[in-house]
Amino acid sequence: MKNALLVIFILGYINLFAYDTQDYKRLLETKDCVTCDLRDANLSDLDFSGSDLQRSDFRGANLSRSVFLMADLSSAKLNDVKASGTVFWKATMDDANLTRIHAKGANFKGTSLKHSDLSYADMRGTKSWKVNFTEATFVHTDFRKAELGDAKFIRNDLRSSRMDGTLLWQTHFESVQMSANQCRHAKEEEALISTDTVCH
Amino acid sequence: MKKRLWVALLWGAMSVNALPIQKDEAFIQAIAKSQNSQKIILMIYTTDDCPECAYMKKKVFHDPAVEPFLTQHFEIIEKNVHRNALPDGYDYFGIPTMFFINHAGVNKETLVGSKRPKAFADDLHRIWKKK
Repeated sequence: MKNALLVIFILGYINLFAYDTQDYKRLLETKDCVTCDLRDANLSDLDFSGSDLQRSDFRGANLSRSVFLMADLSSAKLNDVKASGTVFWKATMDDANLTRIHAKGANFKGTSLKHSDLSYADMRGTKSWKVNFTEATFVHTDFRKAELGDAKFIRNDLRSSRMDGTLLWQTHFESVQMSANQCRHAKEEEALISTDTVCH
Repeated sequence: MKKRLWVALLWGAMSVNALPIQKDEAFIQAIAKSQNSQKIILMIYTTDDCPECAYMKKKVFHDPAVEPFLTQHFEIIEKNVHRNALPDGYDYFGIPTMFFINHAGVNKETLVGSKRPKAFADDLHRIWKKK
């Protein structure tokens, strides 16, 4: 009976941490962690500036208010991550999966998000100046009141995304599918819209 | 490792060529220019590759909700952080940074990042009131 209880307790304890404890320790000690399993880890209020975090799995992790200045998050899994107030300034996030990320008010200035997936992402009020969104995927992405000045949208479909109140000064739209309302707003904001952008 | 070095260099670059604001040539000229008007000095830190800086300078500063009050009550100094010497005690994290300084050289408030014209106009009125 005692042994059974012990086994149940140990199994329960193991299940508390979805992430790999060795990877978690390595990240905190060295700040670099390539292809690490950091699912559901609490990584809030920490500084990972300049860290190499390529291909790491952060699904469900809490990154709130942490700093990833110039970090490499290429091909990282950031699905369902909590990233309110997080700073990704000039980070490389190409091919990353940001599906359902909660990034309200986060700072993405100068990040590269080429070929990333931002479906169902909460990007409300983000500082996203000069972000490169080339061939990124947007399905019901929420950009309301985000600052997207000088950002690059190239070969994207934005029609299902919410863009009310976004700042689009000098934002580049090339070969993009947009709704008529989005196009009207972009023109009012002095965005740079190429002739091959389609306004439906 | 290389990236960390860049980050460290970025921080280190902030304190190069420091002088008190009272000895800063642009500040002295701005004070002389506005001696009788009691304007507040708006010192904005910029870089060449900063779209937010361009947005503030080309769009927001000239917006009808901003420009009349801005030109009446503020004297603007621009410092390119890559080319100009920066005054001592006026460090920054993020570009643009705007310092609002009175005639005595006292920094009354610091704003980081860009603002929409209406929000910036509200800031200017608030800062002017507390000068």
